[in-house]
Amino acid sequence: MAPMDRRKFLSRATVAIAAAIGIGWAVPGVAYVLSPAKKKTGEAEWIVLGAADRVDIGTPSLFKAKVTKTSGWVSTEAEVAVYVVTHDGREFRGFSNVCTHLGCRVRWVADQNEFFCPCHNGVFSVDGQVVAGPPPRGLDEFPVKVEDGQIFVSLEA
Amino acid sequence: MSDRVGGWLDERTGWRLVWDGVFLRQVPKVNWAYTLGSATLIVVVNQIITGILLTIYYVPSVQDAYATVDFISHDLTAGWLIRGMHHWGASAMVLLVGLHMVRVIYHGAYKFPREITWLSGVGLLVLTLAFGFTGYLLPWDQKAYWATVVGTRMLEVTPLIGDWALRVARGGDDLSAVTLSRFYGIHVWVLPAILLLLVGLHLYLVVRNGISAPPKKGE
Repeated sequence: MAPMDRRKFLSRATVAIAAAIGIGWAVPGVAYVLSPAKKKTGEAEWIVLGAADRVDIGTPSLFKAKVTKTSGWVSTEAEVAVYVVTHDGREFRGFSNVCTHLGCRVRWVADQNEFFCPCHNGVFSVDGQVVAGPPPRGLDEFPVKVEDGQIFVSLEA
Repeated sequence: MSDRVGGWLDERTGWRLVWDGVFLRQVPKVNWAYTLGSATLIVVVNQIITGILLTIYYVPSVQDAYATVDFISHDLTAGWLIRGMHHWGASAMVLLVGLHMVRVIYHGAYKFPREITWLSGVGLLVLTLAFGFTGYLLPWDQKAYWATVVGTRMLEVTPLIGDWALRVARGGDDLSAVTLSRFYGIHVWVLPAILLLLVGLHLYLVVRNGISAPPKKGE
């Protein structure tokens, strides 16, 4: 290799230092701009609904819970309502109370043994299946689990 | 390859003349104190880059200012670093322009033919302090708020126009949403525009007149 003269060495060293400084700005800068884009996936967030023994066998019970949604630096509180159903006190299922037709709230009518939507007379069975009326599909189901007698729901799925 | 591209561009833009004039000009034998101006320029570039990055998330309203600064510092990847570089860069700016000025005074480098370089430098010094003062309010925390209450109150002791000057600085009688908003506008639009003009003039003059050699004994 030919010996490098002083001028060439200083010129290359200057470029190398400038590049290092440039990278020092660019790497954190790009990470900073892109970081809100990375969404946490894989871990479902479980929301406490209430005591499992509040649910009568065969009768859907409505649970309401407040959830805080955070987007950036703004937090908003929203209320979630979930009908929890069990047929044996061990297996629990959670259904949205939002009608799949046009988004009205359905309610459980005990003496008819069905969910009823007052807007357009949509009817769902105890397991969320469409029985009558315009709804295009059954009630949305959320994953539910019971731990230490408390019901948890995940709204992620 | 890069020679061919460079030559192609040079035929059409003459960039080599400018490049050589800036980077290959003759300089007298000098010492490290002569790097203070360049060091200041690097920090200016740092303030521009990190400042632009901060505006991506910062919101200058009384509801959001503190929350967005908190979000930048604790939730974003490297947000603490970007904000830290802007914060410490601001202090470095004041320090470096001060030392730079002392060097120029000490060597008498402000004399003919460099008076305009000196005067633009005085403008840049004032600008640096204005940047510092307006930027200090933007996090909208207790320290920022009360420092600006005190800082703007100093205007009040100005003879004759004191009350008026205070109201102009605050945009009203008290420090408010108006103050925050206009300090932000001044900090990110007004001052940088003047800064770029003055830095351009300052650098042009440094290149045109060359830098002064350290005075010899007896001079």
